[in-house]
Amino acid sequence: MWLRNVWLLSKRDYLERVRTRSFVIFTLLIPVLMFGVSVLPSRLATMQSGRARNIVAVVPDAEFGRLLEEQVQVVTKDTGSQYQLRVELSQTEETRKGLDRQVAVKQLDGYLWVTPDAIRQRKIQFVSRSSGDFMEMGALGAALRFAIMKQRLAAHGSSGEELEELVKPLEIETIDVTRGKTSSQAIFFTAFLLMMILYTTVLMYGMSVMRSILEEKTSRVVEVMLSSVTAKEMMAGKILGVGAVGLTQILIWTALTSVVSLPSIMSLGGGGKGAGIGISSTAGVFFAVFFLLGYLLYSTMCAALGAMVNSEQEAQQMQFPIVLPMVIPLVMMPYLIRHPDAPLSVIISMIPFCSPLVMYLRIVVQQPPAWQIALSIAILLATIYGMLVLSARIYRVGILMYGKRPTLPEILKWVRYA
Amino acid sequence: MDAVHLDKVRKTYDHFVAVDDLSFRIAQGAIFGLLGPNGAGKTSTLRMMIGITAPDSGTVHLFGEAFRRQHLRRVGYLPEERGLYKKMKVRELLVFLAEVRGVSAAEAGRRAQQWCERLQIAEWLPKKVEELSKGMQQKIQFIAALLHEPELIIMDEPFGGLDPVNTSLLKDVLLELKQRGRTILFSTHRMDQVEKLCDAICLVNHGRPVLEGNLREIKARYGKNQVHIAYEGDGDFLNTSSLVVSANDYGNYVEVQLKPGADAQELLRLAAARARVTRFELAEPSLEQIFIDVVGDHNVAA
Repeated sequence: MWLRNVWLLSKRDYLERVRTRSFVIFTLLIPVLMFGVSVLPSRLATMQSGRARNIVAVVPDAEFGRLLEEQVQVVTKDTGSQYQLRVELSQTEETRKGLDRQVAVKQLDGYLWVTPDAIRQRKIQFVSRSSGDFMEMGALGAALRFAIMKQRLAAHGSSGEELEELVKPLEIETIDVTRGKTSSQAIFFTAFLLMMILYTTVLMYGMSVMRSILEEKTSRVVEVMLSSVTAKEMMAGKILGVGAVGLTQILIWTALTSVVSLPSIMSLGGGGKGAGIGISSTAGVFFAVFFLLGYLLYSTMCAALGAMVNSEQEAQQMQFPIVLPMVIPLVMMPYLIRHPDAPLSVIISMIPFCSPLVMYLRIVVQQPPAWQIALSIAILLATIYGMLVLSARIYRVGILMYGKRPTLPEILKWVRYA
Repeated sequence: MDAVHLDKVRKTYDHFVAVDDLSFRIAQGAIFGLLGPNGAGKTSTLRMMIGITAPDSGTVHLFGEAFRRQHLRRVGYLPEERGLYKKMKVRELLVFLAEVRGVSAAEAGRRAQQWCERLQIAEWLPKKVEELSKGMQQKIQFIAALLHEPELIIMDEPFGGLDPVNTSLLKDVLLELKQRGRTILFSTHRMDQVEKLCDAICLVNHGRPVLEGNLREIKARYGKNQVHIAYEGDGDFLNTSSLVVSANDYGNYVEVQLKPGADAQELLRLAAARARVTRFELAEPSLEQIFIDVVGDHNVAA
């Protein structure tokens, strides 16, 4: 009977939400927005006006000119910006005036003024109509730097290949004794991802649970319902029903985002390298487990608050204390990553309001003993159930009094009240 | 077997005693009125009967057994403060409310259709609840309380906010349910509305029963010591006569309360001598009159 009621209640809540037009629109709009915010700006920034940029480089000697041309081509290949580079050797005032005029009448996009003096001072002028395209500065700067280096090294008798070797970037690969290759970026990334997903879903759906409970109280549907189901069933049904809405939305988003933006992220992130997060499948399972548990816990907390408050305004004030415990693990993250086995870390990973994030973090950094994981999950489950019972009690008594916001001692009395 | 038996039920909120050692029985198949002014503890009493709250002391028996939640499947409840899921369609809502009371979805759909036809609201079944007028929502709520064919029907102010046509429509339904052996409990402060329907009543004030029993017996106990008299001419005699306790002039007629043991015939002779009598009627006191008398006495006593 209890299961059937919870099922019926959650089904009602689920369908009522999923069927609304706003759900459909919101679900489809968010991935579009995400795409717009994350991918488009960088896309736009790298997108060129379509034609090659016409640039003159005024250099001290022909050898340098040749090296620079070579490097600009390399840069062009890497970033996708296109340059039409012409090398000029005459460094007189007349040349400069002529170039200035050409830039002004848009015959030229800009010119580099590379004198031996400028090279010595490591300060080279680029004259153009617009200033401060940092992408362009970066690309030209790199080309110049390499050209200078090559010329200098060649003067010391080094070959081009040796040089290529020297300037290659270095990468540090971390190897975990028990699990082989890991990457500290991946740890940060998934922990941060878990935290962000938890945070947003709790804010969105936890608040939705709260609001919906509040609404049932103010519309007095609750009295009809309580004459056939228990307050506990109502709470459980609400949390699961609204929770399922959240999960549906997240699943749709994950699917859509990966379809829409993965290819472009791949192409941006240097041909797929670095885009692979590289978490193991066990970590993936724990990610799901701790996300669900954390979500349930915070939803029940929201439910309890919804049972306590009498108006939307009061509910809004309550949002902060709810998300506060989620910030603690974030603040402690550096410590946790360095000392995953320290007593403090172990203790925090047992405290239910922090444990979803902290325990997950510990699992990713260094597999803790199985009993600790089990204990942490057990404590979480117990807390969720406890919160459910608590919120049901507050709810049942809370509907009898309205208009007045309960004080803390009153709430404590409600909880004791059978 | 009694459908309901409350024994010395007591409920306090903080220091406020809402229900104070209240006891009554409702025979199966009877229409029972739980009457009293606002704040007398009627709704608190009902909530203990449907398990929303538990009594501090005393016992609630339903269908001859100590209260269990399973009993609720046999109870239909119409709360005073009506509430429905506004975003749901009427049919879905009715089916849902019947389902949580153990009826299958298909059966619930069939019954919802029948009831809505009966109450002339069937064309609203595919509409959303929020599109309905208040009166229509009330009918829906009424149907929702009956869909699972409860043996005991508890209605808190069932006719509040309904027009006379709909009131009589619902009254007919309830009388028919009574004929089919259902037990009905009304809770109201509108005595005139239930007077014609109830077999037995319990009058509560300040959480305490002040009058209880079979309605006819109660009225008999108060006797036919009331006279409705209409006349043309000088009515002064009513105020000076030693036969009269009080006289209420309603404009069209005067309601006269006789002294205990006074003879109505004597009053008629007196009236005929002083004025032109157009109507003279020995009447039972109305429930309202009894209530005002009893509660008035209690208030004085308190």
